[in-house]
Amino acid sequence: MKLALTVNGERREVDVPPNTSLLSLLRDDLGLTGTRYGCGRGQCGACYVLADAGVGAPGHGARAVASCLLTADQAARMEITTVEGLADGTKLHPVQQAFIDGDALQCGYCTSGMVISAVALLARDPRPDETSIRDALAGNLCRCGVYGRAIRAIRRVAGSS
Amino acid sequence: MWDRREPERLEQRIRVERDGTVTALSGKIDFGQGLRTAFAQVVADELDVPIERVNVVLGDTDQVPFDFGTFGSHSVAQEAPLLRKAAAFARRQLIDRASTKLGVSGEKLDTDSEPLTGVIPDRVVLMPETRRKYAGRPTPHVEARDIVTGQATFVADVRLPNMARGAMVRPPARGAKLRSMDDAAARKMPGVIALVRQGDVVGVVAERDEQARAAAAAVEADWHALPVEGPTAEVPMRSDPEVDERLHGAAMRLAQTYVLPPIANAPIGPSAAVADVRADGATMYVGTHRPFGVREQVAKTVGLPEKKVRVLPQITSGTYGRNSHADAAIEAAILSKGSGRPVLLQWTREEEFAWSPSRPEAVLEISAGLDADGHIVSWRYDEHTNVHTAAGLDPGVLGVTSGRNAVPPYAGFPSRVTLHIEPTRLRTANFRSLAAAENVFAIESFMDELAALSGQDPLAFRLRHIDDERFRRVVERVAEASGWTEHSGNRRGRGIACTVYHDTYVAQVAEVEVSLSGAVRLVKVWCVVDPGQTVNPEGVRNQIEGGIQQSASWTLKEELLHRDGRVMNTGWDTYPIATFRDAPESIEVFVEGDESAPPTGVGEPGAVPTAAAIANAVYAASGARLRSVPLTRERVRKAMPA
Repeated sequence: MKLALTVNGERREVDVPPNTSLLSLLRDDLGLTGTRYGCGRGQCGACYVLADAGVGAPGHGARAVASCLLTADQAARMEITTVEGLADGTKLHPVQQAFIDGDALQCGYCTSGMVISAVALLARDPRPDETSIRDALAGNLCRCGVYGRAIRAIRRVAGSS
Repeated sequence: MWDRREPERLEQRIRVERDGTVTALSGKIDFGQGLRTAFAQVVADELDVPIERVNVVLGDTDQVPFDFGTFGSHSVAQEAPLLRKAAAFARRQLIDRASTKLGVSGEKLDTDSEPLTGVIPDRVVLMPETRRKYAGRPTPHVEARDIVTGQATFVADVRLPNMARGAMVRPPARGAKLRSMDDAAARKMPGVIALVRQGDVVGVVAERDEQARAAAAAVEADWHALPVEGPTAEVPMRSDPEVDERLHGAAMRLAQTYVLPPIANAPIGPSAAVADVRADGATMYVGTHRPFGVREQVAKTVGLPEKKVRVLPQITSGTYGRNSHADAAIEAAILSKGSGRPVLLQWTREEEFAWSPSRPEAVLEISAGLDADGHIVSWRYDEHTNVHTAAGLDPGVLGVTSGRNAVPPYAGFPSRVTLHIEPTRLRTANFRSLAAAENVFAIESFMDELAALSGQDPLAFRLRHIDDERFRRVVERVAEASGWTEHSGNRRGRGIACTVYHDTYVAQVAEVEVSLSGAVRLVKVWCVVDPGQTVNPEGVRNQIEGGIQQSASWTLKEELLHRDGRVMNTGWDTYPIATFRDAPESIEVFVEGDESAPPTGVGEPGAVPTAAAIANAVYAASGARLRSVPLTRERVRKAMPA
């Protein structure tokens, strides 16, 4: 199945079997391996990407979605941004910089998904309080236990710490 | 077996490269504990170079010296001093060469000089501490930028030319033998390259991940279930005289039993491996605690000499012990050999829960007697559990693995401690701190019960039985830092717990809120840790915080259910772990290392006392004494006094 979709601001054309997930398309066809497989059921957040369904669509604006649950042809109707597309050249997105400065990671497997959720949150609410941060990232599981550090990093970006 | 015997050689540890960078080599593996950062810090200091120029290579079996494995929070303690010494030795050689050349002929330094070599001497002059730029200072993870930008290559991110994908065909339960199979339909499915069978290992190789999984699901396999027999053993850990006599003669006596269920390592990234097996050699991209162990197992599995197998450990999801087993690596090697293609195999979430080794369950029986003055006069402890390591039942190490921290850290009374190893149908192995988390839950809960029985403050009662000054100091300091009081009112309460884990001293106070329904909310945790000399205080704090957060999840939420050798809860919906919503308001970690003492580990000790601190806090808040974890709402509600 031939598809064209917009990923990180670029138009990309791929040929994938029907029902290929956006997650495998990103990882296996576009080489964007920063989006990671964790459960395949949208329960852990490791594969989150930003999806913007465009003006007029319900919930307009980039939302954090599980790329394991989207099919490639669903994704073709949206603008997709992955963790690789957040930095502006060599200048990191403020959330990325805050995660480094606050050492808000250990193994780093879940970090891409957390960063994506935080970016989506700040886009719709630039000054979230701690409860909003916890709610917005409740779908991002971390086993190493950096929740407290991630909350502090996001609060610093939001200027609410 | 745990120690290297060969003399350490400089060229196996430090290479000054032609481009001015420095390569530091170690057989240890970083799963997020910050080893790469700590090693880069000490090497940068000794060679007086910016940390960005130090490249740390971990576990590449073609480059690093043999290492038995990364366990027991030993890595910084063992390797940082060694790398420091090696780097100092390298610096001395560079200076010697420079001064010889400059002094004798005045020629410019020769950039084609021979590599630095030689046995690292026992004594090397180190950089004075005042000139160290990195060690002892907070340093973020050196790989942090790659991680937040998605550039870091985790095992499943490795992409090789012509790489195919694998999927396994699993039996219904552990230990089943393959009787027969029909793979005719699977072979005809789109993208399928090969059906591979070696013994009872069956898998599919296909062009794409979904294709491999669909074909694996289409294989009709007939499995023959076999009963799994486990070994038993009884290990006396300590046996002082007069334990029984003193117990019978005690003014007050107490006997209790504590129970912990099996729990899952539950890494966020399921096991993965990439294997490229060819007739003349194999290259393995893996996540492992034991690269040389993987080399040996893969060589045997595919029939190659060990020297022909190169193991390249990649950044891996934190696995907390699970990667002591090379499951995915061995399977990927079989699939690659059988298909003639490089193969990436990543387990599904369900496979990770169902087929990974788990932390064994434990039943801990304790009896103790107190004199009329409230001093412990006798202590009897029986630990019943299963094997805790990938190595299986090895009588030589049972005491320090399955019996870890079974002997109480308190002084002034005789004790008898016995470890009983029993069989289980569950697959059990290494998990963070091995049995220490279970034993310390029992011991520290029981200490609180003894204090309550004799009307003493839990803090004061512990201090009466501590004769080690460093231990005493962390306990006193955590009381001070938290403003210790057993009760804080309004359905809130505080609990204390402490231990000594591999010479790291750690004490914690937890504050919880218990609702009338029995739901427990962890509000705050204070922790004081003394890991001796500290290379990266920020790294220590991060590790300890993480240990506490993970342990809080074990304590409040987790239990692996199994029947007939089959794990029943195989997803995040049926095996929930702590989320952002469950994280406490704060975890305050005070890193107060005794700088005159050698560095000790911090990867595990943070997780050890947390369960008891929480259970003791639940008692203080609600009067409910929980002797079984997890501390579920139903259990707490039932244990509340009427």
